Amino acid sequence: MKKLLTVVLSLVLVASLLAGCGTDNNSTGNNSSFNLNNEIVVVSREEGSGTRGAFVELTGVEAKDDNGNTVDRTYEEAIVYNGTNQVLTAVAGNEYAIGYISTGSLNNTVRPLKIDGVEPTTENIKNGSYKIARPFNIATKGDVSEITQDFIDFIMSKEGQEIVSDSFIAVDDNPSPYAGSKPSGKVIVAGSTSVTPVMEKLREAYLEINPNAEIEIHSTGSSAGMQAAITGTADIGMASRDLKDSEKAELDYLAIAIDGIAVINNPTNTIDDLALEQVTKIFTGEIIKWSDIK
Amino acid sequence: MKKNFLEKFMEIIFFISASASIISVVLICVFMFAGGIPAIKEIGLFDFLLGKKWSPSNVPPSFGILPMILGSIYVTFGAILIGLPIGVLTAVFLSKFCPRKIYRYLKPAVNLMAGIPSIVYGFFGMVVLVPFISNVFGGNGNSILTASILLGIMILPTIIGLSESAIRSVPKSYYEGAIALGASHETAVMFAVLPAAKSGIFASIVLGIGRAIGETMAVVMVAGNQARMPNGILRGIRTLTANIVMEMGYAADLHREALIATGMILFIFILFINGVFSILKRRMN
Repeated sequence: MKKLLTVVLSLVLVASLLAGCGTDNNSTGNNSSFNLNNEIVVVSREEGSGTRGAFVELTGVEAKDDNGNTVDRTYEEAIVYNGTNQVLTAVAGNEYAIGYISTGSLNNTVRPLKIDGVEPTTENIKNGSYKIARPFNIATKGDVSEITQDFIDFIMSKEGQEIVSDSFIAVDDNPSPYAGSKPSGKVIVAGSTSVTPVMEKLREAYLEINPNAEIEIHSTGSSAGMQAAITGTADIGMASRDLKDSEKAELDYLAIAIDGIAVINNPTNTIDDLALEQVTKIFTGEIIKWSDIK
Repeated sequence: MKKNFLEKFMEIIFFISASASIISVVLICVFMFAGGIPAIKEIGLFDFLLGKKWSPSNVPPSFGILPMILGSIYVTFGAILIGLPIGVLTAVFLSKFCPRKIYRYLKPAVNLMAGIPSIVYGFFGMVVLVPFISNVFGGNGNSILTASILLGIMILPTIIGLSESAIRSVPKSYYEGAIALGASHETAVMFAVLPAAKSGIFASIVLGIGRAIGETMAVVMVAGNQARMPNGILRGIRTLTANIVMEMGYAADLHREALIATGMILFIFILFINGVFSILKRRMN
């Protein structure tokens, strides 16, 4: 008798659990009617991330306060993730979310927003009409060695720019194929952690063509890379930003790629165009609701 | 002679194996403190522990980890609140009510829970729990509540395992005595056996706290990770572990040292918890 009761009770429990799940599914279905009066769910990257650094700088989220201190004003309530994929999943899973990722990582689960009416296409980023983009620069000081010049020629060649365009936007549409003399020697490259991955791929491809070369890459950060190029401890410096005036005075520089940063939201959202100023206001918490965007 | 040599030799092997784990613990201790103390000195102990602002890339930067300390404590407390009743009741069921046939499947299932990688729990939390909380309670779903529920599930195997063995190790005479006095099976288990297993259950709570406070990947994926003072159960939070894992990749100089110091604080938390656990265990025996 007791056993029977237990069995019946547990059956009821399981059934109610399943029923609970069922209603949940329904409620998710009903929620697809998008409501502009909801709060914007701001998704950001962690402090120190190159993407965040470039984004806050380009949008003016980072600003100087009255005392001349540089302050990252990213909204306190912003959800923080430490990877592009997590930002993608979060924005794809939340109708009211907004985030930012490198244009190279976009997929169709999220919608890249137009900024001031301009879509973040390769073309728009290249001609400068899409505002949130940063160049990846390499810099050298004075006369360079034969091997350094040959490696730079390779980066700017058809083969090199093809590697670049796998993850970023190439700067040159019709580069000529590599026709270097394949000299032997050693090149030290130092700088940005964001440029390092693509530089490593370039090294790999270059060493296949020119096995006599030796290329050393130090991932130290843009500023340290420029400093190393100035002092001569590195032959080539890498920077994931424009060079500062003090650096421009000392170095010859060249953009090898452009990385656009796409501001993304959920495809069910009715808003697909923001002014740059509105992006700044959303990420600093001045605009709280989607309906506040006009 | 030969036998003697072999014996000595094996003795040394055993000794080396035993030292290996102790040496690594000592090395980790030395590394944490050597890495963390200079940063704390530079930031200032009170600014570090009680500072409410964490913004390492500002000029000048601020390194206050009070929000993260509170975050860890809140989330752990929530996990115990959810995990403890479920865990203890499951342990009672498994040890005193469960038919043999069901036990054969239930026990391995509970053990399996302990083996699921935390990133899988995190992914489950991100795609199932976060939208669920957002739909039912509002907010964006990345919250103290979500993290507590997820951690509550994750500490279940720890609590169930330890509580079950504590209940099983209660002498049979307690149960039989209660039955002899006219108590039903249920009353005997809940009011005679369970209270006698008290210290074992406390030990399971302490170990659960240890697991919850140290959990990283799963929490990062559901907690929102805002580095500001906690301001509501449906709002996000950043834990000590999340702070380290999120920013270590790109951190340099003082920022990096401050993260190691964060690890040191976490380490002190764990040392304290383990101390409490061994005291409880001694009392249990």
